Amino acid sequence: MPDAQSKRKVGSQIIEISVNGERHEISVKPRHTLVEVLREKLGLTGTKDGCEQGVCGVCTVLLEGRPVLACITLALECHGKEVRTVEGLAQGETLSVVQQAFLDQGAVQCGFCTPGMLMSVTALLEKNANPSLPEIKKALEGNLCRCTGYNAIVAAVQQAAGQGVKPVMQ
Amino acid sequence: MGELSYIGKSFRRKDGPDKVTGRAMYSQDVKLPGTLIGRILRSPHPHARILRIDTSKARALPGVKAVITVDDTKGIKHGFVETPRYPPDQEVLARGRVVHVGEEIAAVAAIDQLTARQALELIEVDYEILPAVFDPDEAIQPDAPQIHPTHPKAQVPFSNIGGRTATGWGDVEAGFAESDYVREDRFESHLRTHGYLEPHTTIAHWENERLNVWTSSMGTFIKRAKLAKTLDLPYSAVRVHKAYVGGTFGGKIDLYSHEYCAARLSMITRRPVRIVATREDIFAAYRHGQPLAMEIKTGVKKDGTIVAQQIRVINNSGAYRGSGVVVIFLAWGFTMIPYRIPNLKYEGLSVYTNYTVRAPQRGHGCPQIRFAIESQLDRIAEDLGIDPVTIRLRNARKPWEELPNGDNVHEAGLIDCIKVAAEKSDFLGKYGKGRKAASTIRRGIGMGVSGYFGGSLIYPNGSGVIVKMNDDGTPTVLTGGIDVGQGSETVISQIVAEELAVNIDDVKIISSDTDTTPQDIGAWISGMTYVTGNAARQAAGNVRQQLLDLAALRFNVDIKHLGIKDRVIFNRNDPGQRMTYREIIAHSIATRRGDTIIGEGFWRTMRDEPTHPSLATTKGRWSENYAYSCQVAEVEVDIESGEARLIKALTVHDCGFPINPALVKGQIDGQVSMALGHAFLEEVLTKNGYTLNPTWLDYRMPTIHEMAASDDADVITEQYVVGKPYRTKEVGEGLVSGILAAIANAVYDATGVRLTSTPFTPEKILKGVRKLAREGKGRQ
Repeated sequence: MPDAQSKRKVGSQIIEISVNGERHEISVKPRHTLVEVLREKLGLTGTKDGCEQGVCGVCTVLLEGRPVLACITLALECHGKEVRTVEGLAQGETLSVVQQAFLDQGAVQCGFCTPGMLMSVTALLEKNANPSLPEIKKALEGNLCRCTGYNAIVAAVQQAAGQGVKPVMQ
Repeated sequence: MGELSYIGKSFRRKDGPDKVTGRAMYSQDVKLPGTLIGRILRSPHPHARILRIDTSKARALPGVKAVITVDDTKGIKHGFVETPRYPPDQEVLARGRVVHVGEEIAAVAAIDQLTARQALELIEVDYEILPAVFDPDEAIQPDAPQIHPTHPKAQVPFSNIGGRTATGWGDVEAGFAESDYVREDRFESHLRTHGYLEPHTTIAHWENERLNVWTSSMGTFIKRAKLAKTLDLPYSAVRVHKAYVGGTFGGKIDLYSHEYCAARLSMITRRPVRIVATREDIFAAYRHGQPLAMEIKTGVKKDGTIVAQQIRVINNSGAYRGSGVVVIFLAWGFTMIPYRIPNLKYEGLSVYTNYTVRAPQRGHGCPQIRFAIESQLDRIAEDLGIDPVTIRLRNARKPWEELPNGDNVHEAGLIDCIKVAAEKSDFLGKYGKGRKAASTIRRGIGMGVSGYFGGSLIYPNGSGVIVKMNDDGTPTVLTGGIDVGQGSETVISQIVAEELAVNIDDVKIISSDTDTTPQDIGAWISGMTYVTGNAARQAAGNVRQQLLDLAALRFNVDIKHLGIKDRVIFNRNDPGQRMTYREIIAHSIATRRGDTIIGEGFWRTMRDEPTHPSLATTKGRWSENYAYSCQVAEVEVDIESGEARLIKALTVHDCGFPINPALVKGQIDGQVSMALGHAFLEEVLTKNGYTLNPTWLDYRMPTIHEMAASDDADVITEQYVVGKPYRTKEVGEGLVSGILAAIANAVYDATGVRLTSTPFTPEKILKGVRKLAREGKGRQ
């Protein structure tokens, strides 16, 4: 099966995407995924590569403002679109309120789910500045975390949304 | 020094900014030019003889740079345990036979992923299928298929016993005879994966006759030792670099075949080689935890005082020894830490089967054995008409008791833990109500106790730390301690900041690189805060002393008159005499030799002991720190559907004292979540050695929807004094245990259904509820 596949010439195409506000022209094959483009071609390794099955959520990025799983998003689908990754959240040295809240609440341990979580939370708060607990859970149901038990992550979202949750870390 | 400025306070993680901006470099983020992609050919059979391997077609495929089989290795075996009794039993690639599905047979390095995959398909292997065995009870029968026919046997004539722990004290028969009540139960636990989200990744680069490695690990020094050994290289020829690690939970400590193969392929091709395990590989072929079967016979007095206990544990240890012989030792240890057992007879067997190898997994036997013991204790309490709190208090070890192995529990906080947990949860106010409720949604409350060791002796036994002062008066810390998410870099920085009276933001920390940092025990023996932390304290204290000596010379006063505050040394008797660290160092450079100020620290637990206790007899000292906890679970069970969930957890623990309370809380929350997965959701399903659910979709790890409220309290039994050794206790893995037992007991409290095997599935709960209804005991 792989033999036949490799003998067939599969043409590359040039796609144009904007990543964190920078425009790129990239040659991709139809089988290339967005996470491959980000990590391998653009060197943006902040987006993590986890299960490659579209389940764990660590590769979550924003495509046209909407969270998508980059491991099951084909690069060709992103042509002409805008992608945002964890590298684009901070303004220079100033962290976004979501990034800061994750640090303040101890919502980061091993950090492997963190980039995907941050993107899901960022998308949620851009759409809904004051989410309820069920809305927070709904928005993060596709992001697995093994370290925190999710409690600190929920607190971080609530802090970032200005719901009166005070930092637990100094 | 009085008030502490950094210890006991919840400072933000030192590695936090890197982790929230995407700058943190994990093994998968390391990019080296010219990197080849490695892939592993795995056994499709649980047990087979390898008649022939032909790699010629794979080697001839354009783009393939190397193919290796066991013939390309030195044939040096390795094992999680390597002792005279339990010598290493596993080669890095299969030789002549495969003994589990997914066992590594060959590895290729190619220019890209697709070529590597094609190359694997071109390797021809002829197998002769052999009979396989999966049930440990069958595997120990004399006529069972022999998994390691040439192996020295732990117990003749049984076939597949890879290890045995036998120990005890007193006279159990006499103990049972003098007991008022004796009860026997059998419990079973099941197979779960660790659930680290970062897949195993190794990138190896052989350059200038040295090997550079970045790999997912829990200790770079143990990885270096195992790689050097199997590659037959001097330790100094192997450098394991720092890489952030995306979760471990016990699953990244063993040497994995892919780590060896990446290194060997790089040595052959002289190019960097990367091997990544897919999630399917991890589920189907990598190491999970250890399913134990536990038979427990306990004799008690009428008042619930334990008189005698006889325990037999059988571990289905998979096809190689792995940590199977450790878990049967540890199950003994986790039996005897919390309660006094005047007479004990313990036997643990680790049995080879044709399953994948087992690894340590957070708690390493503790959740299993505490689930069993605490479940049975609740049964005994109910049979005797005693409440769960009273029976635990009656048997709980007191401060300064000596354990039967000779260790001392020091300021053990167990009694306080139980009392605080009972009070905070209003345990006795709620207990026993659920079963009587008329509704189909029942609430239940349960309690579980556990104890855990903090640090033991296993290579490299101790940790060194170096603190060097920069000319600007700030310290740089070199530690081999690896931060796997628990926060060791932050904790070590807090200790150094406290000892040196410098701002924590000014502490630079360089960690877990085998070339540039001192040797360290690693994040896998529950001792880093204690062992590496005390080494850091000593190193920083050493620097403080050197700074004081220089200031005393400069001020021409006795050192006892000097004080330190905020990076300044001053003369208490003459406020005009004050110098910043920077000025002291500058002065030293200008007027004296200007020797760089470097402080060293080294710490080892049980300093005078040569090694860990005997895994076979349990003789010898185990640890000098024992942590205790009492956990309470409140569950909700729908008796119509059988579905149960954890609503609320309370963890009352004795970690000594928390250096960083928020980091401790993070450990607790994570363990509660892992335990609720253990209890209700997670199971690696297998049939004849094949994994049936090798994806996150089919293996249900807790999502945010299963989040449970998690409260905690710390009974605090120790303290930190600047300049003095301190005692912290374990907090990062034992707390998966009492809560699992508490959940089981809470399900019983809610339903009257006593579950003797994990997980607590709707099927099992419904079956129990229906049985009770048939017997006229339950309400439907």
